Amino acid sequence: MEELIRDEDGVESLQKKVQDDVSKETEHDFKYFEFKGNASEYFRIWIVNIALSILTLGIYSAWAKVRSNRYMYANTYLNGSNFEYNADPVRILIGRIIVVSLYALFVLFSQYLFMFEIAGGIAILALIAMPWLVRQAVGFKLRNTSYRNVPFRYEGKVSSFYGFFILHFFLNLITLMLIFPYSYVKFKMLILDNAHYGDGDFIFFGKTGEAYAIYIKIFVWSSLLIFAVFMFFSFIGAGLGIIFGDMLSAFDPKISTKIIPILVTIGVLLIYVPFIFWNKGFNDGYFSNFVRKNTALNNSPLKGEIKPFKLGIISATNALAIFFSLGLLYPWAKIRYLKYKLEHTAFACENYDQFESHGYVTGSTVGEEMIDFFDIDIGL
Amino acid sequence: MLIDALLYDGKSSKEHKVTLDFTFGRRVKISSHDIDVALEDIVIESRLGNTPRVIEFPNGVRCKSEENDKIDQVLLDFNLNKSKTHKIESSLGLTLGSVFLTIGFVWFMLTGGANYTANILANILPQTTLEEVSTVTLNQLEKTLLKKSKLSERQESIIQAHFDKLTNGDSRYKLHFRSAPEMGPNAFALPSGDIVLTDQLVALSRDNNFRDILGVLAHEKGHVVEKHSLRMAIKTGISSVIIGYVTGDISVIASTIPTILVNSSYSRDFEREADAHAVKEMKKMGVSTIYMANLFEALAKKHEELKDDSMVGSLMASHPLTSERIEYFKKHAENN
Repeated sequence: MEELIRDEDGVESLQKKVQDDVSKETEHDFKYFEFKGNASEYFRIWIVNIALSILTLGIYSAWAKVRSNRYMYANTYLNGSNFEYNADPVRILIGRIIVVSLYALFVLFSQYLFMFEIAGGIAILALIAMPWLVRQAVGFKLRNTSYRNVPFRYEGKVSSFYGFFILHFFLNLITLMLIFPYSYVKFKMLILDNAHYGDGDFIFFGKTGEAYAIYIKIFVWSSLLIFAVFMFFSFIGAGLGIIFGDMLSAFDPKISTKIIPILVTIGVLLIYVPFIFWNKGFNDGYFSNFVRKNTALNNSPLKGEIKPFKLGIISATNALAIFFSLGLLYPWAKIRYLKYKLEHTAFACENYDQFESHGYVTGSTVGEEMIDFFDIDIGL
Repeated sequence: MLIDALLYDGKSSKEHKVTLDFTFGRRVKISSHDIDVALEDIVIESRLGNTPRVIEFPNGVRCKSEENDKIDQVLLDFNLNKSKTHKIESSLGLTLGSVFLTIGFVWFMLTGGANYTANILANILPQTTLEEVSTVTLNQLEKTLLKKSKLSERQESIIQAHFDKLTNGDSRYKLHFRSAPEMGPNAFALPSGDIVLTDQLVALSRDNNFRDILGVLAHEKGHVVEKHSLRMAIKTGISSVIIGYVTGDISVIASTIPTILVNSSYSRDFEREADAHAVKEMKKMGVSTIYMANLFEALAKKHEELKDDSMVGSLMASHPLTSERIEYFKKHAENN
């Protein structure tokens, strides 16, 4: 373990220095991010996006993605200036076509033609390309984000991604995932230490020990919550069974066997599904805070003040709202979640004018679209 | 016209307060930065809600202005193209239209539309494609699950005679006798017209003349005639795309559960169609459908499926409930 942590001595000492600098200056002028988007405005953009995508048989979806992202970025303000999303819809469309056709080929060969050799070949190729694709996706997101007309940049090497994924795949295999928090910290370093805003450099100095502490905290809280909820409902369930069980079976002995599965289904839907989404938000809250407070741009630190429990509640109620509105409250839910996260994030910078631009660059979108299509969270 | 804006030169993150002057000579001037360019050399990005409008100048200079309405006026005055998208988004009628279009489309696709589209595609695709796909599938199954049949010559000849009569000598249809201990009592049809019957199903037959097996074969022929496997494949694709698109973020759970429900109800409809086909064929041949009912009872006993007569079971079942099908065939037997 000790040796693994010390493998990048240069970076380690630099991180230490920045962290010391950051913690020495306690008098930081933190400014909170602001989100100015509103649900009714975004609803219109969202629904028109879907309608136009339907009418164009999906082709517009690339433009829809850009429009939707542009709206989110443009409404995100820091120190009075907003962000910009600059991706080219045509490139997104090409990326989308490539990913969807590869996936369609995979499904065709595996599920309809039973040619498992070819389907397996496609899957293996995708697996081999995965580290490269993840790197592409990270780069794409950063390159296409700008603030005050200065774009973010990414300089991570493809070889470091292959190195990371191969090493950590085996480490997790051997340790039965017990080393995962360490992998998480290393991945964040790979992303953030190679990320730049203009000529400014991001640096991540999160400690593995803290990541372990967060995982343990999440595990304990989630288990306690599950336990409490199940106790509560089994008491209620038992009570109801005693009161109504005889009454129902007096009418029709078969009715209770018909009703119980329905009740179980509803119960699962109303408890289990919100719990999963609560847990998602709860996790996101803890890890977002962890990453924010351990990241700095040059010597300017970020800060996260998200309440994980509250973000969990937002996530769970969002899921219920989307479900019961048959999807129509999706724009409201998305904005609500994003707004809470952003407005509990702060950045302290002495001089917002100091960054020099390296100019805009374009590149492949296949990675970004793969991440999007399979809904893989790379956590930027 | 004068418009207040913020200017970023693209070289650094410095922010400058400027005034853009759109002159009648179709030029844009920013006096504080010595910028004087033709209107055609700048790009005014499409309006997006009330977010600051981005205006791109040559040499990487960008301006942002909150005065969206004034900029729209400039576009109008100088006869420049205004983005249609914002027009749609800001019109109440067109947004409501989008809501109805989306809901209507999703509803149509999840109910009749997927079926309709699938039928069209199923008819367009050439028969040879279906045959190639079926040959590959059958070969794969032969390698793994299917073994040589152990039926007696008498059994095979009776069933083959039923089959020939059923298909009226149409060479498209081929009957394959196979033993499949892992699959159990089963029969299935490939889109090409190859129908596989397992020994295990024949063993469940309660009729010496295998009139119940005739019913099964008629049911399988129904699947081929109605191009069910192809329609199923197309429907799965369409419905998963729609559900994925509509639910957006809640991808993992929300999009798999409805897909399973929708698809299993699809295949229940297909089974009903094939059952109806079987009833029609059996009536034509003057065979009572009571034999089918009997066979299903035997199957049910084997699977003990009757236990599953609950709401959840009925929702999740990919075949209509066995008890439902027994009733169906009994009803038609009485009608004869």
